[in-house]
Amino acid sequence: MSSVASQRPNGLALFILPGALLFASFFFLPIGLMALMSVLTGNPVVMPKVSFTTRHYARMIGDPYYLEVIWTTIRIGLVTTLVALLIGYPLAHWMARIKSRTGHALLLMAVLAPMLTGIVVRTFAWMTLLSDKGVVNQTLMSLGLIAQPLKLMYTETGIVVGLVHIYVPFMVLTLTGVIGRIDERLEQAAENLGASPLRAFLEVTLPLSLPGILAGSLLVFALAISAYVTPILLGGFQIMTLPILIYQQISANFNVGFAAALGIVLLVISLLLVIAYNRALGLVSGQRELQ
Amino acid sequence: MQTSASHSPSLPTARQTTSVRMPGPARHYGRYLYLALNAAILIFLLAPIAIVVVFALNPTPFIQFPPVGVSLRWFEKFFASRDFMQALGFSLEVAVLTTLSATVLGASAALALARGNLPGTRLIVATMLSPLMLPAILTGLALFQTYVLLDVGRPTWGLVAGHTLVTLPYVVRTTLAVLHNFDTRLEEAAQNLGASPLRTFFEVTLPLIKPGVMAGAIFAFIVSFDQFPVSLFLVSPGNETLPVTLFNYLKFDLDGTIGAASVVSIVLAFVVVIGLDRTVGLRSYVKL
Repeated sequence: MSSVASQRPNGLALFILPGALLFASFFFLPIGLMALMSVLTGNPVVMPKVSFTTRHYARMIGDPYYLEVIWTTIRIGLVTTLVALLIGYPLAHWMARIKSRTGHALLLMAVLAPMLTGIVVRTFAWMTLLSDKGVVNQTLMSLGLIAQPLKLMYTETGIVVGLVHIYVPFMVLTLTGVIGRIDERLEQAAENLGASPLRAFLEVTLPLSLPGILAGSLLVFALAISAYVTPILLGGFQIMTLPILIYQQISANFNVGFAAALGIVLLVISLLLVIAYNRALGLVSGQRELQ
Repeated sequence: MQTSASHSPSLPTARQTTSVRMPGPARHYGRYLYLALNAAILIFLLAPIAIVVVFALNPTPFIQFPPVGVSLRWFEKFFASRDFMQALGFSLEVAVLTTLSATVLGASAALALARGNLPGTRLIVATMLSPLMLPAILTGLALFQTYVLLDVGRPTWGLVAGHTLVTLPYVVRTTLAVLHNFDTRLEEAAQNLGASPLRTFFEVTLPLIKPGVMAGAIFAFIVSFDQFPVSLFLVSPGNETLPVTLFNYLKFDLDGTIGAASVVSIVLAFVVVIGLDRTVGLRSYVKL
């Protein structure tokens, strides 16, 4: 950090206050209250007697159903991350290495276009593609390749396809930044020394982009495990993930304490991922300040 | 910034050396494979958006492929629907309020972080960017519980506060990016020429950071307009945002109205982004 201890805050430092106030009252306070609710027996406003309890957490650990839900969430997140990496890397590499400015701008628009389309809209698009009478099945059947529609929707595969589409732009943008910082002359040197382009990529570019792979993967995983719309619509209410369970506990069961406990579990997983993501990006840039 | 290395004048461009490297068919096949793979990935990214447009224009009352014709009936149904129109209006209202508050709070915070000599800057930045990665559904849940405990109901300001929290990071990041890129000697020069710190701020700093602030504001608008997980917990029946209304409709119906509504929100987002690109340039502010 360049701001050494000898420098003291000046008048401009006061401009942090409105933002800090927003975070204190609409972020830290609510999350603190959620943590509190997760260890209380009831709502202290409407119930005269509430006491501390660990029963919400005990229920989660004691019932294999909830552990299964957590595992399903993590499994979908892992597969989504892996697929997003496999299809995000080639595109990010192209974007980072393309020479034409127009080409770069077009690729950037292609990556941003899905991001600018709301999650609900994109999930609707995948419903029209993957349902039994959807585009994919009707096309395959009219070509005579299949007799029965493939079961694409209401499966984990369908959820993963939708999630990959939604989160792959985050992977591409993270990787593009990291690959763009790798000096192209290193690859050229390897090729001039006789390595094939593939070998130059595998032995030079790929290892140097590992921190970006790590950062992009952590970001996509964190986003995928907290997704709600896509798993519920493409899973057709049949596949239960942590965010779906949390909303269900509020909307159907009115079990605020248990929802809070589930929320804290999701929060802790995400916080660990955020810290790891920042570490990974720190590896890319050495000590890149403030960003 | 991501682009600085590739545009540095000291680097020889790749074209100069390409011809030296091994020629031959193997190299070309590899190149074609690379381009074909990327073309397939682009199709995967863009086809679903094209499909939405197709279904918005296809007149059959159910999903049918290939489409049988072109009609605007779903757009008529969308614009005639009171529920959808009310949701669209409410979404725009929330997005405008969110953009205003996120821009003012985010740009101020970025200024303090870049110029205020605050202790623990790294930690504060990480905290202010954290809503980008922490599950938005938890922000919604936590705010919902807080409003229930405080017995304030589900007010519009409560929803705007939630949206501000998840859009503020975009403004902080784009503003910080310009603040770090511009030459601080300009500010020093103004002060050396006798300008007060306040005058320096309004006449030098503010005009220079404006593109970054604007870019953040436009991101904030789009993110708020498309926001779902926070809204899910904080909207009240009869006063829902467009994504929540679309979601509830999707649970039971899969006709072209959703397609029409989707096209309207896609067009809106694109108009905003093209406006952004024309006014301030997109490329330098898009990074993760």
